Amino acid sequence: MDLSSFAGPFLPEIVLLAGTLLIFLLDVLGVRRIETTGAVAVGATALALLFVVADLGLGPLSALATIPSGQIDTLVAPGATPLYAFTSLGFIFQGIFLLAAFFVALASMSRPSSERGAPIFYGLLLLATLGMLLVAIASDLIFLLLAIEITSISTYLLVGYTRRDVRSLEAAMKFYIIGALSTSLSFFGASLLFGAYGTTNLYAIRAVAGAVGYPVLVLLGYGFLIAGLAFKATLVPFHAWAVDVYDGAPTDVTAFLTGGSKKVGLFAFFLVFLGPVLFVAPGAGGSPFAGGTIDLGPVLQITLSILAVVTMTVGNILALLQKEMKRMLAYSSISQAGYMLIGIAIGTSPALAGATLQMFAHVFMKTGAFLVVAGVAALGIGPLIDDWKGLGLRRPLVGVAFGLMLLSLAGVPLTIGFVSKFVLFSAAVQAQGYFVWLAVAGLLNSALSVFYYARVLKVMFFDQPTPSSLPAGAVVGGSDPPLLRAGGFGTARAVAIALAAVAIVAFGIYPQPVLSAIQTAAQHFINVGA
Amino acid sequence: MIPLLSVIVATLAAGTVFTFLAGNRARWVALATTVAFLAEVAFLFLAFPGWPGYNAALVPGFADSESYSWISIAWMHVNYTVGVDGISLVLILLTAVLQLATVVYSWAETKRPAAYFGLVLLTCLGCFGVFIALDVLLFFLFWEAVLVPMFFLIGYWGGPQRRYAALKFFIYTHVASIVMLVGLLALVFYSGAASFDFSAIYASARGLSSVVQSFLFLALFFGFGVKFPIVPFHTWLPDAHVEAPTGGSVLLAGLLLKLGGYGLIRWAVELLPNGLHTVQPILYIVAFVSIIWGSVLSLSQRDLKRMIAYSSINHMGIVLLAIALDSSLGLLAAVLLMFAHGIVSALLFMTAGSAHHTFGTRDIPALGGITPTTPTLSTLIMVGSLASLGLPALISFPAEFTALLATWNTLAYWVIVPLVVLVVTAGFYLWMMQRMLFGPPKGIPSSAHDVPWYEGAGMGILVALTILFGILPGLLVNVIMSSPIKGFPGT
Repeated sequence: MDLSSFAGPFLPEIVLLAGTLLIFLLDVLGVRRIETTGAVAVGATALALLFVVADLGLGPLSALATIPSGQIDTLVAPGATPLYAFTSLGFIFQGIFLLAAFFVALASMSRPSSERGAPIFYGLLLLATLGMLLVAIASDLIFLLLAIEITSISTYLLVGYTRRDVRSLEAAMKFYIIGALSTSLSFFGASLLFGAYGTTNLYAIRAVAGAVGYPVLVLLGYGFLIAGLAFKATLVPFHAWAVDVYDGAPTDVTAFLTGGSKKVGLFAFFLVFLGPVLFVAPGAGGSPFAGGTIDLGPVLQITLSILAVVTMTVGNILALLQKEMKRMLAYSSISQAGYMLIGIAIGTSPALAGATLQMFAHVFMKTGAFLVVAGVAALGIGPLIDDWKGLGLRRPLVGVAFGLMLLSLAGVPLTIGFVSKFVLFSAAVQAQGYFVWLAVAGLLNSALSVFYYARVLKVMFFDQPTPSSLPAGAVVGGSDPPLLRAGGFGTARAVAIALAAVAIVAFGIYPQPVLSAIQTAAQHFINVGA
Repeated sequence: MIPLLSVIVATLAAGTVFTFLAGNRARWVALATTVAFLAEVAFLFLAFPGWPGYNAALVPGFADSESYSWISIAWMHVNYTVGVDGISLVLILLTAVLQLATVVYSWAETKRPAAYFGLVLLTCLGCFGVFIALDVLLFFLFWEAVLVPMFFLIGYWGGPQRRYAALKFFIYTHVASIVMLVGLLALVFYSGAASFDFSAIYASARGLSSVVQSFLFLALFFGFGVKFPIVPFHTWLPDAHVEAPTGGSVLLAGLLLKLGGYGLIRWAVELLPNGLHTVQPILYIVAFVSIIWGSVLSLSQRDLKRMIAYSSINHMGIVLLAIALDSSLGLLAAVLLMFAHGIVSALLFMTAGSAHHTFGTRDIPALGGITPTTPTLSTLIMVGSLASLGLPALISFPAEFTALLATWNTLAYWVIVPLVVLVVTAGFYLWMMQRMLFGPPKGIPSSAHDVPWYEGAGMGILVALTILFGILPGLLVNVIMSSPIKGFPGT
């Protein structure tokens, strides 16, 4: 195998790796300015994103494709046990991960140049993204878990990279301990499955699963694997760490964690449960317990359904009680994981498409929202929601952008958040049977979530500012401080936020290109597994 | 031929954007947009003799129809499909008229006028969209698009309790929309419709069993009913109406309540005839309770605006009753009633707003004998009240008469309930006028003045229409009866 034919398919990964090495090299050479390292990271993620989009065969970009389209979504021959496989759904997820990394890298360039640690931040950001890209092409449990580990270790360090902030350090420590625990749970589950199936390859597992049946070993193995992955995906009751970590981490890192790394866990769910199709949808109107015997598929299906409903409900109710902006967004992020899990529990290709679109939307809404929060915090405005009083009127552009993100999270029409929920819940109704109740539960939850999003809108646009909500230098009742360009956020952050806001509306109005790509990919993904 | 409906949507959308950006000249942009809107609606009506007009073959039963693919994946086909029939045409006329009246009435708005007029236009755009949408997603989108501007209108320009009222309004109607959405989605997927289009569902939904139809009907009824509003989900209405600025109250009572009635007719009654037939008793009970309870609550109010707000519940209860009758006469009555209530309640809310500006209070017992001081305002209050209580030659009379006739045809002696309530309604309006307009002057501040020209002009438009359609209701009836899909006799 010559180098070019090997390097071709992995060009996005290689670009990221090269970016990481370049940043660390520049660090050694003494070039540590945030503008320089940031530009490298932005360039690397943008270039990798370009290649991934090209591989998906979208429009004129397909000329840049590094993988012949014949090698994507191919059925694996019986007996073959590839470590990785190229699926178009995997590419879509690579795109989602890269988008999150791109937004965070771009926005972070607006942090003060005097700030230390820029090379570490950007280097680790690219390394974590590299791990995610590998997750998206994994087709072996060990490969998958190792790829997740690359991401995890990078993000542990990212959370604590500032080194001075006690809260960040505490968060990093917590993240590390819980992460290590969840990794060992996952590996333990995988080893039990290896004991039962004699292989860790997902395709090979599919081939032998029927013959092995459902001994305790298999149930235990999947149980541990679900628990381990549920930590990563912040599903209730494995969520307790998430809010403290999201809250304690530097906000730009939080934006990356919620936009990117938690979806790694969810995509792993896709791979493990939909890839090998242990998990067969019972069909229209079918009872999960039809036939008198409990099959493993329905048991998992019900487990995942319950996890989904519990996750979104608990996340929403706790979000309702929060007084701090970051914690509110963190809990809302947990509830969003519940919506995404609906798609996995239903397991049809429409549902899979809905869940994927929801994750795509989440990058713009939630990553964007955290980037705004980081910018607002940098203006000297406090962490409480009440500190944001009157912000929407004082800085209309920031108010409109953040308002759009909240409306999108709440699922108000003409935003991408609405389209994704619409597709997801339509898929649940379309699957009929008891899945309609998943749609009802999801919709009631999204109604509940309106409470806390609308409250922020109220605070931002209707309430008069109080002293603690004023940026430094302003007086109550006095004239506003001169409106800084880009709302005082710095150009790079303003551009990132504006891009996210524009995407929210643009895809909200015309989702067809993204949606048809995702639907095709989801169909192929289910077929590849079948 | 031009795709007139999309042109109107574009006009309103562009007008809204320019209004938001126009700063102090926003009212002129808003007025220009409104005039253009009215002219285009006039074109819609001009095409009426050649019914069903542009692209009639595209969506059977609807004129001026357009359809473009919007989202098309393996299992979901959503189109931008629009079209009008007689029912929507009448409500579109109502939208245009109320937009004009609101913009003129609010001419002197000084609190962030650009945002105010922009939100007014956006609300009207949403309502217009609801009346033309013939696709589930498009319909839902416009339906929700009304919610956000109204939330801000109440929350920023409203009275002392505005924040509470805005939040309550948003949450009540949003939860209802969600139930409605599940109902509509289930309608699409359970009937196996080929697309999300009205005509596709129309072709497939009749094949559903009565049981499924009635469950779907109830889900849709809840969704639309909260907007009506039906008792016991009416409690958002008094808060929202009373706290909203006058322009907001006018749009709420005049247009937003009609969305519920229109939605019920278009998406539930027409699509699920067996469902309506099965759950008819439930609708009757809800309608009677709403009629009686709205009237009783109205009678016990001191605040003029609150009184008008509660009387809306009563009037919309009659609309629900007329729809539930499941007869073409009933549907005709329902649409006439909605149009009449839209005009009259808008007029009454404007008089309440003007009274508040002039006297600094809307408390009925605190005022008395205001006629010598403010003759124009008193006249307008009188016209509005008389129209609302159903005086012949004013617009409500033909509508209420048709409703009572339709009720008699179907329910016979049960017609006593709405009839008695109408008498009570007449009673509370007369009592209000007696206390407020006549008798010895009371509670009139020295600064009291008659209505300014723009408020007078806004109300004048509505008064003119009240009289015009009161004398010539046939103009509306002909248009409504031209909707072939309703099975009106003679079409």
